[in-house]
Amino acid sequence: MSLFWSLVHLIIFPGGAFALLVALYLKGLDRRLVARLQSRVGPPLNQPFLDIAKLLTKEQLIPATACRPVFLLAPVIGMAGMAACAAFIPVPGVFGGLSGLGDLLVLFYLLPIPAIAIMLGGSSSSSPFGAMGFSREMLVMLSYELPLLMVLLACAMMTGKLSGAGTADFSLVSIVQYQLENGSYCFNPVMVPAMVAYLMFLPGTMGVAPFDIAESETEILEGPMLEYGGPLLALFQIGQAFKTFVILGLGVVLFFPGTLCDFWPVNLLWFLVKCTLLMFFSMTLVRSATGRFRIDQAVRFYFRIPAALALVSLVLVIAL
Amino acid sequence: MRLDIDTCLKKASVCSPWLFRINAGSCNGCDVELATTALIPRYDVERLGCHYTGSPRQADIVLVTGPVTIKMRDYVLRVWNEIPEPKVTVAVGICPISGGVFRDSYAIAGPLSRLVPVDVNVPGCPPRPQAIMEGVVLAKQIWMKKLGILEG
Ligand code: SF4
Repeated sequence: MSLFWSLVHLIIFPGGAFALLVALYLKGLDRRLVARLQSRVGPPLNQPFLDIAKLLTKEQLIPATACRPVFLLAPVIGMAGMAACAAFIPVPGVFGGLSGLGDLLVLFYLLPIPAIAIMLGGSSSSSPFGAMGFSREMLVMLSYELPLLMVLLACAMMTGKLSGAGTADFSLVSIVQYQLENGSYCFNPVMVPAMVAYLMFLPGTMGVAPFDIAESETEILEGPMLEYGGPLLALFQIGQAFKTFVILGLGVVLFFPGTLCDFWPVNLLWFLVKCTLLMFFSMTLVRSATGRFRIDQAVRFYFRIPAALALVSLVLVIAL
Repeated sequence: MRLDIDTCLKKASVCSPWLFRINAGSCNGCDVELATTALIPRYDVERLGCHYTGSPRQADIVLVTGPVTIKMRDYVLRVWNEIPEPKVTVAVGICPISGGVFRDSYAIAGPLSRLVPVDVNVPGCPPRPQAIMEGVVLAKQIWMKKLGILEG
């Protein structure tokens, strides 16, 4: 029976179909909002679906010099890793999350998988731009991993301390449970720096401006994605969509899981509204107003500001 | 009507044309106009679902500018061959159509239609952004014909 429910969570809700639908519409909304902010008309809301449909009908070309197995497997790895992650995300008031201790740690280890898949794909494509994209992607990834780890650690220790367990509590279920009973962390001054650090981590991990360094189409022609097209690129986009859902959902769960009432459809809508707002403030606004950082600027930014903010929260939590 | 997934996918696919630019020795006038269609609020190609991509492997509609100089000929052919089927070729500006002001030059291998099948010509030196967008819309229709889903 529990296997059945795990499969439902993986394939239908909150992972699988639900996550994909939400993430693709969010992406369409993001493109439209950016266009509106630049006073353009922008694409229709369902454009990401059309893009994926288009890519599925195209011919698949594989470079003769590419390392075939890795080139074919990389998008599958990226998508599978993120599809598994999406099942872990609790939707407060609707779905309590898969139980089991330490799921925050599992998420932390699974989150870099899309970036690693991009690196694998780029380096196996035998294109020099792919190799350049590989090194850029790796530098950005290494610089945002540290603040992310500290943010997650701060949340876990906060929950562990306040709920009386003493040690860090890495279970997403209890993090949500504690906040539902005692108020969200976004109202807790100790956790506000960590929240800001998390907001700064979002554009980096999604590879949107100003951190679209690895896939900059004007400098290195899409970088690792240069040789991908057709169905394999569609797989990458689906993986990227799952990732959007995972990191937005994780942000909501860690900092603002409050619910409105006990009626689940309202809570579901509320969750979606919070995801949209999170995306708007951390990605859409930033993306439409900035250019692209140089690699060294991005690395320096991540090691200075978000890392320092996350560290402040962590130290305050420990001193509490 | 029979519900046919293949036809549905094909119908959806023409709403997402990704554009790729090849500069075959253009004077840059046409390239600036192409950038105009993408970048300024007045002529937004994104509202047609278009997206300028940097990779030929992801392209659906290829926009060629310039008279195809002898030096560029092999590269143009090579990049053009890397674009997956079905693709639509649009010649932007008078240069790729007839050679334009470079017509009798010793250095050109064009016009473009001598090298690859051209589907849409957008004349002008440089063409207006409206004309380029009309060219993209025409290219979409030709794409539909190539997929075999255009009625009437
Ligand atoms: S058509 Fe005119 S503007 Fe365009 S590339 Fe040729 S000379 Fe330049």
